[in-house]
Amino acid sequence: MKVAALLLSALLASGSSVAQNLLDCHIAPGWEQSGAIRQFDSGNLFDYKDGGAEGYLIFGFVRMSTIDCKSADSTITIDLSEMTDPDAAYGLFAANLDPNSPISQIGMGGQVQPQSATFAKGNFYVEIVEVSSDANADDSSTLRSMASTLEVRLSGRVTPPAQLRWFPPDNVAPVRMVPESVIGLRELRRGYVAKYQAGQAFIVLEATPESASLVLKSLRLHFPGAVPALVGDEAWIVNAPYLGGICIFRKGRVLAGYVNLPTPQQAATQAAALAGRIP
Amino acid sequence: MPSRTSRRDFLTAGVSAGLLAPLASATPAFGVLKPQSGAAPSSSAIKLSYKTLGRTGLRVTSVGFGCMITSDPSVIERAADLGINYFDTARSYSRGNNERMVGAALGVKRKQIVLSTKTHASDKTGMMQHLDQSLRELNTDYIDIWYLHARSDPAEITDDHIEAQQLAKQQGKVRFIGVSTHSGQPQLIPWMIQKKAFDVVLAAYNFTMDPAMDKAVETASEAGLGVVAMKVMAGGARSHKPGDPIGGKLAQPGAMLSALKWVVKNPNVATTVPSITDMDQLDENLKAMQYAFNAIDAGILTAHLERIRPLYCRMCGACEGKCREGLPVADVLRCLTYADGYGQFALGRERYLELAQAPVRCADCAGCTVDCPHGVHVARRMARAQELFA
Repeated sequence: MKVAALLLSALLASGSSVAQNLLDCHIAPGWEQSGAIRQFDSGNLFDYKDGGAEGYLIFGFVRMSTIDCKSADSTITIDLSEMTDPDAAYGLFAANLDPNSPISQIGMGGQVQPQSATFAKGNFYVEIVEVSSDANADDSSTLRSMASTLEVRLSGRVTPPAQLRWFPPDNVAPVRMVPESVIGLRELRRGYVAKYQAGQAFIVLEATPESASLVLKSLRLHFPGAVPALVGDEAWIVNAPYLGGICIFRKGRVLAGYVNLPTPQQAATQAAALAGRIP
Repeated sequence: MPSRTSRRDFLTAGVSAGLLAPLASATPAFGVLKPQSGAAPSSSAIKLSYKTLGRTGLRVTSVGFGCMITSDPSVIERAADLGINYFDTARSYSRGNNERMVGAALGVKRKQIVLSTKTHASDKTGMMQHLDQSLRELNTDYIDIWYLHARSDPAEITDDHIEAQQLAKQQGKVRFIGVSTHSGQPQLIPWMIQKKAFDVVLAAYNFTMDPAMDKAVETASEAGLGVVAMKVMAGGARSHKPGDPIGGKLAQPGAMLSALKWVVKNPNVATTVPSITDMDQLDENLKAMQYAFNAIDAGILTAHLERIRPLYCRMCGACEGKCREGLPVADVLRCLTYADGYGQFALGRERYLELAQAPVRCADCAGCTVDCPHGVHVARRMARAQELFA
């Protein structure tokens, strides 16, 4: 089973027609394929997603296969996106999920709603969207079944990025991946952000402790009032418009911190707790 | 009809006024993030330029804010504090999460800014549901401009859609209505003018486009349609594949700003909505209102156009009757522009199949007799069209 899944993934990565083996309307009874399977890459995703293509590209999009399935007056479209890595796939999933709906155990994470289902597994992000003549129709059981069947066909990681577990668990919205400019600062290139009742925390993984240290120093140049703090291996705190009380620290090759707290001292207290959770 | 003015001429026109403007890089980035006294930076320190958005009468900053890929609300908040007053989002961005973030970021500033969003719903009922959802997520009781999202052909806009927009206007939920379009503008804009139902067009527009787009924008403006430009940086460096020379060129420092300034200088464009993800980009974009398009900008963009010159047909007609096989070269290349330039593959293929031409494959021809005076690689482009459409 594992070998078959790996083979399919390898074939998908190498060509286009293989998607036909993965995308199949018969994964739910009563649904028939309408039209051919279409393929898109970063050069022509615009043709399909129009302006929305940017939202995929920014996360590290490689290619997409899409199929339309019909049953009576309803159409279900399955978009299978291959991303550069599992974190990118999870990031795209997290960016698009409804924070008010529960996350399902499908792959690394999934979400099923009355007319849509999404999930991420390995390098893949899958969107299953129904367009029905009844705008209030609830086909979540069909969509969940399709998502589960498709998930089995895909290989790859089924656990969310490890960094998600480092955040204190009392976040008020799902942790999301920010593909560039974490907390609006370009030096923090790609990472995760968790929102809390007060403030938000972020985690960015650098290649080495040395490169993380350099980024921390570079960031500090933008905040001349920053003063050192005793958090992690090195840290500083400052108060700034828009980001409020800030504490940014380095622990090994991890850059993390808290922003938008009433004072830098409060940010440091929260950051110390976060540092304690980072292995 | 496409203008005969070359894009190179167009780039350099009007440059002299800004010739002595400082280099973009002369202003340090993050200037306004410096020493924090607790108060937000005053917009009085930033030079802003305003234009009127067509018949809406709204006064908008000539640089707005495209929120689609923004992750952090602090960037939006700061842009509003600095005086940018046009913000654009859409119901579909991040499945509604973008509207929620924009609504939270703008908060108490709502009344001071012009807020636009879009719907891609296919019918009146769906549109009205989208609108109510947008109002909730944006935490407001009205939308300034409500667009039909991503239409490229008049056939994609039904009476049902227009009725929904008019109803929303009557209900006071939206102030003005429009259409957003990434492709097909030269066909869509004249139709919108004739329809007399719309106030604003949000159109992809940048320095790489065919002169027909300049004309379309001018026509819209003259007819009173407010013109908002998107994709002003020609997709930026992000949309181009690694190794692509166009992407490499736009990735150079200052190139994105030059592209933005090129659009801002067009009097027919009221505002622009470049994507902004961080404070650096915000600071850079603000410079498009402080410094005029100058010779350095023109040089950067001209160099970029040189790279796409082999692909870019100006429709000058010099190739007419030159093909020994009698192929209608300019017409075929126009079809290719529909597909490659405007992303309108179906339209390009339809027009291509309508052309009366001999069953000749350019790839099999011993030597091409068509020599484009502007440097278009005619044989290669013709072969591509045949491969793509035939």
